Amino acid sequence: MFGKRPWKMAAGAAAISLLVAGCRGGDSEDPTATANAVVIGIAEPKHLLPTNTTDNNGSQVLASLFYPLVDFDAGRKPVEVAAESVTVDKTNRVWTIKLKPGFTFHNGEPVTSQNYIDAWNYGAYAPNAQDGGYFFERIAGYADLNPLDPDGAGPAKAPDPTTNKMSGLKKVDDLTFTVTLSAPFASFDSVMAYSVFYPLPKAAFAKDGVIAEGFEEKLIGNGPFKLKGKWEHDDKIVVEKFSDFKGVVPKIDGVTWKIYQDDMAAYADLVDNNLDVQTNIPTDALAVAPADLGERFQNSEDSGFDFIGFPTFAPEYENPNVRKAISMAINREEIASQVFLNSVAAAKSFVSPVVQGYRENSCGEACEYNPTKARELYAENKGPAEIKITYNQDGGHKSWVDATCNQIKAALRVNCTGVPEPKFSVMQEKLKAKQNIGLIRLGWVMDYPLMENYLGPLFTTKGSSNFYGWSNAAFDTLMKQGSAAATPEAQVKKWQQAEDILAQEMPIIPLRFSRNVFGYSTRVANVDMDLFKKVDLYEIETVA
Amino acid sequence: MSDPNLIAMAEAPAGSGRPRSLAGDAWHDLRRNKIFWASSVLVLVVLLMALAPSLFTSADPAACALSNKHKGPAGGALFGYDFQGCDVFARTVHGTRNSIEVGFLSTLLAGVIGLCFGLAAGYYGGAVDAVLSRGIDIVLGIPFLLGAVVFSGRLSAGEGDDGVTAVTLTLGLLAWTSAARVMRSSVVSAKSQDYVAAARMLGAGPLRLMFRHILPNSIAPFIVVLTLMLGANIAAEATLSYLGVGLKGEAISWGVQIADAQGQARVAAGPLVWPSVFLAATVLAFIMLGDAVRDAFDPKLR
Amino acid sequence: MFRYIVRRLLQMILTFFGATFVVFALMFANQDDPIQALAGEKPVSASLRAALTERYHLDEGFLSQYWYYMSNLLTGDLGVTLTGRDISALLAEAWPRTLQLSLMAIVLAAVLAVTAGVWSAIRRGGALDNGILAFTLLLLAMPIVVLAPVAQLVFGMELGWFPATASREISFYTLMLPAIVLATTVVATQLRVTRTSVVENLRADYVRTARAKGLTPRRVTWVHVLRNSLIPVITLIGVDLGTLMSGALVTEEVFNIPGVGFNLARGIRNEDGPLVVGFVSILVIVFLVVNLIVDLLYAALDPRIRYE
Repeated sequence: MFGKRPWKMAAGAAAISLLVAGCRGGDSEDPTATANAVVIGIAEPKHLLPTNTTDNNGSQVLASLFYPLVDFDAGRKPVEVAAESVTVDKTNRVWTIKLKPGFTFHNGEPVTSQNYIDAWNYGAYAPNAQDGGYFFERIAGYADLNPLDPDGAGPAKAPDPTTNKMSGLKKVDDLTFTVTLSAPFASFDSVMAYSVFYPLPKAAFAKDGVIAEGFEEKLIGNGPFKLKGKWEHDDKIVVEKFSDFKGVVPKIDGVTWKIYQDDMAAYADLVDNNLDVQTNIPTDALAVAPADLGERFQNSEDSGFDFIGFPTFAPEYENPNVRKAISMAINREEIASQVFLNSVAAAKSFVSPVVQGYRENSCGEACEYNPTKARELYAENKGPAEIKITYNQDGGHKSWVDATCNQIKAALRVNCTGVPEPKFSVMQEKLKAKQNIGLIRLGWVMDYPLMENYLGPLFTTKGSSNFYGWSNAAFDTLMKQGSAAATPEAQVKKWQQAEDILAQEMPIIPLRFSRNVFGYSTRVANVDMDLFKKVDLYEIETVA
Repeated sequence: MSDPNLIAMAEAPAGSGRPRSLAGDAWHDLRRNKIFWASSVLVLVVLLMALAPSLFTSADPAACALSNKHKGPAGGALFGYDFQGCDVFARTVHGTRNSIEVGFLSTLLAGVIGLCFGLAAGYYGGAVDAVLSRGIDIVLGIPFLLGAVVFSGRLSAGEGDDGVTAVTLTLGLLAWTSAARVMRSSVVSAKSQDYVAAARMLGAGPLRLMFRHILPNSIAPFIVVLTLMLGANIAAEATLSYLGVGLKGEAISWGVQIADAQGQARVAAGPLVWPSVFLAATVLAFIMLGDAVRDAFDPKLR
Repeated sequence: MFRYIVRRLLQMILTFFGATFVVFALMFANQDDPIQALAGEKPVSASLRAALTERYHLDEGFLSQYWYYMSNLLTGDLGVTLTGRDISALLAEAWPRTLQLSLMAIVLAAVLAVTAGVWSAIRRGGALDNGILAFTLLLLAMPIVVLAPVAQLVFGMELGWFPATASREISFYTLMLPAIVLATTVVATQLRVTRTSVVENLRADYVRTARAKGLTPRRVTWVHVLRNSLIPVITLIGVDLGTLMSGALVTEEVFNIPGVGFNLARGIRNEDGPLVVGFVSILVIVFLVVNLIVDLLYAALDPRIRYE
């Protein structure tokens, strides 16, 4: 079948396949083709529809395509951006939002109050299964769109919602609408800064309450940049200046959101000047980044809070003094400087420094490294002879968990092991089943800059991320009082009282406040990142 | 090594007054072979290290302090300290056992399965070959990571399991396919040789044909694949650790060390280089030993 | 010969179903909570969970999930991932990249392995042979997790011979470094097998005959001996081609090539059954075709082997 010289045929076939392989590709554009555009590295977003986007990659891209109702000023206070005014009545329940006139979507449609109402209703409607749907739960009528499953995990299914419109959203005129909350909340304007509250144009909907096929690939927003082409999955998302934009105009003409699978690959491109901004320099590169990047290696505050949770349902960790002793055995500063090379700060409070009402060292003595006292306290209260710290192996936590364990071993003279689980969901599953998996590695990034956004989800009895089952009636009451308080100042007061309970009870060990650790190329200047781990697109500029 | 000639030798009569047997010839040759001695000594040292690590170091591989991070060699720590401030030498020595265990057992497992599949598929051909070969194709289709995730997650004995069994099974159950295919290919070409036809005509049964005639003449590439698989499997354990499905808890191995140190290679190369050197030397020793023994026993080389 | 090929093609169909079943079963066995796996550490609200569970039939048994998948597959619908992406589009994007990368790697490895293998077999025991042995072992002993970043650092970032990643565009040049890295993972075994095989054949009677006929030593080695030694080598190359396609995960990550390995890893981590099964199905078809070609090559290389 191959004639007389099959090996020659084989060699020929090999050569041809190499040639064919070599000739493929080469049709993609150079991402830096536009002179005044920047390339920023992200990972593949899970979704891009605003109400379905809660990961940082997606929300960064959305920040270039959309213009938020409110944003935060240098003092972390909400300020109007796309909104002319955001006001609340005396009961702290009815919010009135007036839009700035003259704004249009990228397809020319004017931005009206109905665009917000439609988008929010779509996000809140349970059958649409939007990741960010829970953001709307304070709005009156949310419960009608999200009927509860009568028997939890049982066989019965939740009934279908009777309506797909929240009763709390009312259009007043084309530029005004009101939001009625189901319970008073004096800081709802801070909540509305999040990307799930962006509007959607009429073109987004095929019919009432149904997103048009393919809209997510060709998003139309109201922001300073518009999508060029479409979302090129796993490769890049290119946005270019929207000439009719009426808001604050950025200094750059476009952004290429370059998608990376691996942070180290992005770092290699950054050092090679192929990437303009990397928003998270990987831990493995921290030691070499100052030499590779010099002044272009920067960091800024973000909202991340890393801690270790106790399985408070387990008898050996019931005693707060045991929990305090373990906390005192950990040298936070040493881990911050040796493992993280000062890209994080030691945490001695239960909320991040970026929120109003943060107090330094609210945790007190229990968060100070004191091996002698820790050992005494631990022995006195008969702490367990074996400590385990469970972590998810896919998050790069091994090095600091091992280091923490080594410190605990040295200070308390008990055995300590880091136990990896493949995924966070596996840890969660085991905790739900009240399996004692020892101490648990946990973290939190805020959705909006309020103390409540840390204390509520993490420590209230029904908190969505209270995986360790801690429950304290006095704490719950204070949190409720705080949310209902009339002014932001009064709220903070109540929340601080709640935080004091945490310091006495130590349901968790605060470890670190994370920071944005970023780097940029020689092509750009004025690079800064905000609390939400987003590059400030209005400040960044290219240099010749 | 599962060298078939060894089996043949064992059965050969070993009378004292007769001319030297093949085994005797081989030993005579090997005694003068410097490579044989060098590799044997190396293999023995590695095995000793695996069995009794405390003979080589008295340091505790689990005693680590961040204050020693990346410090150079000092005192008992010949190779300095790693990122966590652990003694690299102590960890490398103590890691030998798990690495050798994983490498050996997984290769053995892969070898046994591969031999059976390859021999049967190649010898019987037809329907048997079709079923077995397509079975191999299916296993080849299972992505390494998926197999590893499933095995390490589901085979874990729970509390306190160090993951050695799961890693061994993962590597063994996923690696045998190449050995099987190579075995099959050699059998297919050996089967059509004249001496097989001759033996069959003399009335040799299928088992005898397979094991006495075809196997010895077709096993060389298979053995080569296996010796290299030993090294590759020890190294693959590092990849499993990197992917998060390797050894667990306090278990130490060269692979775990390599995976832990690879990110910091630009800052401190030592913690990465030393376990790699041990790994390479071990593989080299086994391959050279295998080569020397095989050559010595090969009558065609005389 | 024709009947043989037809029979093999029919076997392929059965194997294809077998493979999808096995992989589907493995994915099912590995399934804890895909919804939470996708959400990462963020809490998942009850209504979101209920809606997604229903959409992807996550609460149903293994057989009915497999049934849903297969009945869609038979109508040509590979389904969508848990993030709602069209799997056939994903396949169309990822496969060409990986095919290109692994073909480049396998050609590099095979050319190097066969040339160096024959050379070291001829000069068996010499300095060249030992040097090649030591070098290939060094490569073998370095896990890919070390090799890939080190190669990127040295040849991409420090020396600048190659682009550090293939991000800008996937081309022959940008894929060269990752292909070399991939080739090193398989070259050692191929080389050793070539060497062993050639050593055995150098002693065969036909070599003596060929020499006695007065053929040049070069012709004897590179034509007669090599042809007779290639069967195990080609087998190995066939297997390696498959391994490279599914196993290029680390290399694809390091050099930022969103190919098959990357998508498989993402699917496995997110417990995304349809995604993984879709990719593996194609992978199995590629194996089957490659193995068929390898088996046909046996007959071409050794006329004594006959298929009917």
